[in-house]
Amino acid sequence: MSRRSRANQSETPRRRFSSASLLLLGLILGLAGALYYAWVAAPIVYVDASPARFSERYKAEYIFLVSQSFAVDGDWAQAQRRLAALDDPAVAETVTALLETFVREGRPSTHIHNLAVLAQKLGGDAPAIALFAPTPLAGAAPTATAVPPTLPPTTIPSPTPAPTTTPLPTMTAAPTAVPTFPSEPTAQPTYRLLNQQRLCDGSESNPQIEVVTLDALLEPLPGVEVLISWDGGSDHFFTGFKPALGEGSGDFAMSPDHSYTVVLADGSPEISGLRIEPCDDGAAGGWRLTFQNLILQPDTP
Amino acid sequence: MARLRPFLIILLGMALGVGLGLYLGWEVWPIEFTDANPAVLQAGYQQDYVRMTAAAYAADGDLGAAQARVASLGPDGNETVLSVTLDAILAGGDEAEIRRLVKLAADIGLSSPAMTPYLPDEGGSQ
Repeated sequence: MSRRSRANQSETPRRRFSSASLLLLGLILGLAGALYYAWVAAPIVYVDASPARFSERYKAEYIFLVSQSFAVDGDWAQAQRRLAALDDPAVAETVTALLETFVREGRPSTHIHNLAVLAQKLGGDAPAIALFAPTPLAGAAPTATAVPPTLPPTTIPSPTPAPTTTPLPTMTAAPTAVPTFPSEPTAQPTYRLLNQQRLCDGSESNPQIEVVTLDALLEPLPGVEVLISWDGGSDHFFTGFKPALGEGSGDFAMSPDHSYTVVLADGSPEISGLRIEPCDDGAAGGWRLTFQNLILQPDTP
Repeated sequence: MARLRPFLIILLGMALGVGLGLYLGWEVWPIEFTDANPAVLQAGYQQDYVRMTAAAYAADGDLGAAQARVASLGPDGNETVLSVTLDAILAGGDEAEIRRLVKLAADIGLSSPAMTPYLPDEGGSQ
């Protein structure tokens, strides 16, 4: 009797513990299974979602559509409302990042331009925006000095040698002229200096002034008249007539002791003080000027 | 009966766990669903998506891309396009937008007598 009683005393706590552990085991199994079902197998599907719920792929597609629509209808308020639906506090950065992705993927130039315009309107600040949305936006007052689309009178050669007071070009590859915009709408193209760099390839026996003309989307633009003047003379040539140089390129042989001024006939900043200068290897070097047309010529679909 | 008792206890625990798990998984901490596509957009956003698709198609003429965008709206994508187009026509909205919508609708194979005046080369007023 005393032995059975002792045995009962030792079994009762074990059975209680077993029941609790079994209940806990069941609870854990049930909880785990239910959470898997609720989060993985059958998560809540939103059927009335907003664009803020889009995956990255569709978010990019949505932004692209907003840029295309804005290009077509010019309705900025509507574009803003559509972008607001993304609920993205850094939407300008998102659009700029998408623009850079488009550039890397080699998307059609009009797609890139429209996206760049959208990013610019949002206040984005990136080199890609400056490259692909160079024209002033509607309603924005041009801040740069207006350049008339005709050859400025100061570049007409005069019978007397002009004093060489123009500053010498710098050694930097950065543009030395401020981008200029037309003061009023005009059908004639206007260019900005995109890049000015030394020409030190050594392949030419005579140093050259090489002029490269690009359209607003940075594609070569042939047939652009380049006016070049120096103390006591002037000349002109068109880009694209030397296939070896490239579709939008042309060049002019420089002579020692002359300081050249280059301007595009259709309107551009005047680049003056271009002289033959020694390169690092001691050879005579020329200059390469790259101009970008600021007026977008839309593609025909 | 005594031999079934452990299984009943486990079942009871599982039932409690399932109930608690579903409550937590669907109500308290529902999964943040961020991989939506246009098919699950609210109707108003879907209509706006159609308008933007029509504008993009007018801009680049890429019918393949336009068809893919309409298809992304789900099996009722074509009906949504037709509905948005007819709504715009019947509401007398912006004519340029109506023409864009009609062109998209026609080029993906949709038709309606109401679209005819806005179709190019088919008695339209263009």
